[in-house]
Amino acid sequence: MNIIVCIKQILDPEMPPVKFKIDAQAKKVIAPEGIPLVISPFDEQAVEAALRIKDAQEAKVTAITMGGQSAKDAVKHVLAMGVDEGIVLSDEAFNGSDSFSTAYVLSQAIQKAGEYDLILCGRQAADWDAGQVGSIVAEELGIPVVTLARKVDATGGTVRVERVIPDGHEVVEAPLPAVVTVSSELGQARLPTGRGIVMAARKSIPVWSAQDIGCDVSRVGAGAARSEVVALTLPIHERKGEIVSGETGAQAAVNLALKLRENRII
Amino acid sequence: MSPMTIEERLALNKYDVDTEAHIRLNENICQECQPRICLYICPAECFKLRDGRLSFAYEGCLECGSCHVCCDKGAIDWSYPRGGFGVAFEYG
Amino acid sequence: MSDKFDAIVVGAGPAGCATACKLARAGLEVLVVERGKFPGAKNMTGGVIYGPVLDSLFPGAPGDIPVERAIGRHVICLLSDRSSVSLDFNMAGSGDRNGYTVLRSRFDRWLANKVEEAGGIVAAGLRADDLLWQGQRVVGITAGGDEFRADAVIAADGVNSTMATKAGLRVNLSPENVNQGVKEVIGLPREAIEERFGLTSDSGAAIHFLGFCTRGVHGGGFLYTNKESLSLGVVVQLKALMESNLKSVDLLESFKEHPTVREYIRGGTTVEYSAHLVPAGGLRMVPRLFTDGLLVAGDAAALVLATGRALEGINFAVASGIAAAETVLKAKERNDFSKESLSVYEKLLADSFVLQDLKTFREAPRFLENQRLYQTYPELACKLAEEVFRVDGKPKKKLWQLARQEMKGRVSIWQLLRDGLSARSSL
Repeated sequence: MNIIVCIKQILDPEMPPVKFKIDAQAKKVIAPEGIPLVISPFDEQAVEAALRIKDAQEAKVTAITMGGQSAKDAVKHVLAMGVDEGIVLSDEAFNGSDSFSTAYVLSQAIQKAGEYDLILCGRQAADWDAGQVGSIVAEELGIPVVTLARKVDATGGTVRVERVIPDGHEVVEAPLPAVVTVSSELGQARLPTGRGIVMAARKSIPVWSAQDIGCDVSRVGAGAARSEVVALTLPIHERKGEIVSGETGAQAAVNLALKLRENRII
Repeated sequence: MSPMTIEERLALNKYDVDTEAHIRLNENICQECQPRICLYICPAECFKLRDGRLSFAYEGCLECGSCHVCCDKGAIDWSYPRGGFGVAFEYG
Repeated sequence: MSDKFDAIVVGAGPAGCATACKLARAGLEVLVVERGKFPGAKNMTGGVIYGPVLDSLFPGAPGDIPVERAIGRHVICLLSDRSSVSLDFNMAGSGDRNGYTVLRSRFDRWLANKVEEAGGIVAAGLRADDLLWQGQRVVGITAGGDEFRADAVIAADGVNSTMATKAGLRVNLSPENVNQGVKEVIGLPREAIEERFGLTSDSGAAIHFLGFCTRGVHGGGFLYTNKESLSLGVVVQLKALMESNLKSVDLLESFKEHPTVREYIRGGTTVEYSAHLVPAGGLRMVPRLFTDGLLVAGDAAALVLATGRALEGINFAVASGIAAAETVLKAKERNDFSKESLSVYEKLLADSFVLQDLKTFREAPRFLENQRLYQTYPELACKLAEEVFRVDGKPKKKLWQLARQEMKGRVSIWQLLRDGLSARSSL
């Protein structure tokens, strides 16, 4: 089985909030030079979903990412987790792409990469949270999509997905090839092993340009963007902590309850 | 420039916090220990005395090794965090 | 995949990267194992690389090396609680430069890239946990639960070197042999830095402080200029810090509030706080440098020069890393990685500034134990300067008279002479 996972590098969500800066005028995020980008956590879980399938059966997992200089680091990380191949899509023409053009570029690359049975994506990138790319990739390729997976099984030409819904989950089946987007309920992604890290470090990672994957350049980049950022602002967070104590645990609980009532929370 | 608390200082740094502590204390030894030099020597003030008990909050550790060098009671089971975890300096 | 390498380097700092770069360029298969999520993530220094050592690895340095500023101004500044006296060596305007300020997170990452360009393998996010032995010989490492074998292992894993300790080449560090450094990186606009420190656009200043910055504790302070930030910190001997019941971070706070320093950092914003240990015991703490299949380089081998003014470490790390690589290349020719074969390493270091400087200044660490250096003399210098420069309408005294007056109760002539002679022989 051939599995493709699409991954995206984002600003590290764990970085200190004070380091998060934007250029409100240009409506752009300013990435701090010294804090490397990381793989969007949902995408890491999509990789985990692929590796769980590979644990159970013969499968080849290929990761594809679109990005700049540091995109190779993302690919190295998933190779270290156990992914077989990684491809970087990099071209100045891709700069400023929105969800539509990104999905187009990915689908072009997926077709060039060869045969595919299952395409996995994170439910959304943890930076812009748009959650569109997976579905549009399916649209581009003309195949079914199942979103918000918490469990993915693929056997005998069918994918069986436990799909997260507000009050539990539903089970959806789709014929392969199909796109499945993975949600955080899938569980923790595995850590790279020692051997995996070394193997990934020695592996050469191909970089494909717009031309390599036969992109119609009028469909990519800022010029082709169908969505527009209207305003970009930093949220203001005010966090206050207070430790409620008491002579005994019970007393502390009473004090807490009083405090909550005082503030009309209960 | 106004003075900063240790919490404000550590909040400037990027950490990838592991689920397990990389430094552990032998509470029996620490309980008896005086003058508990670790309370002063740790530049991240990870050692805390709460209700007479010494504890170590590994999350803010700057990984300098001072506690390991200074504790002559052998109470500190010291190692660096696992690969990829712990502090990641932006400037260094 | 074969897990056998020609050499495994533990630690992607300046020592490890220098070794790996040289070995990879010679065509050897080299693996560098680095516990930080990226090379440089764990590394911190005051911030100066002294001398021309990088040129030997990267001709035309600094070239594209991400250095911050080339040092054109060296200042030694003695602090009392409210004033300061400085010796200011300024060649910033002349175009002459010596050494660079660096930010290690960026600098070390660049170095590791050079290793990769040369064909070396850099495995970041992987902590070396133990050595692999075959009898008395080191044959590799274990990391992340897996084994990796090599003809030679180079322990370049820093001041707390797990590898050198596990190899039995050194004992645990002792508080009199290491200093604790704490540092703030303080963001400040480029123009403000250049104006405040009298610098041109590419030149930088290195200021070393003695006295109030450590409130009399054995150690000193430093201030280095980066492109758009200052590195400000305090370095104190761990033993002295333990005895003082002071916290280094509190010393750093009061250092920042000193009238002289306050003006330098005015309007700045702290963007990082870090801490690290520095070997400062000189030659006496240098461990055995090699055993069968293993070499120790850089801070792991305590190759740091302490002369009281500054701590020179990165140049020693790079030079020892290069020597380690030369040793491995020679051993490879002979296909003999025994300790007899690797003993070339010590000869190479003895022929270079690395061990020669440590020998020249072998008495310096003992001299630096002198408490008067950190309180009495800086205060005396400030007091004396105050008397010399203050015009208060009273009849003036000659310099020597003033000196005698200020020394009274602080230090005797004999003590001063003895310290002077001791300085002459050890510094």
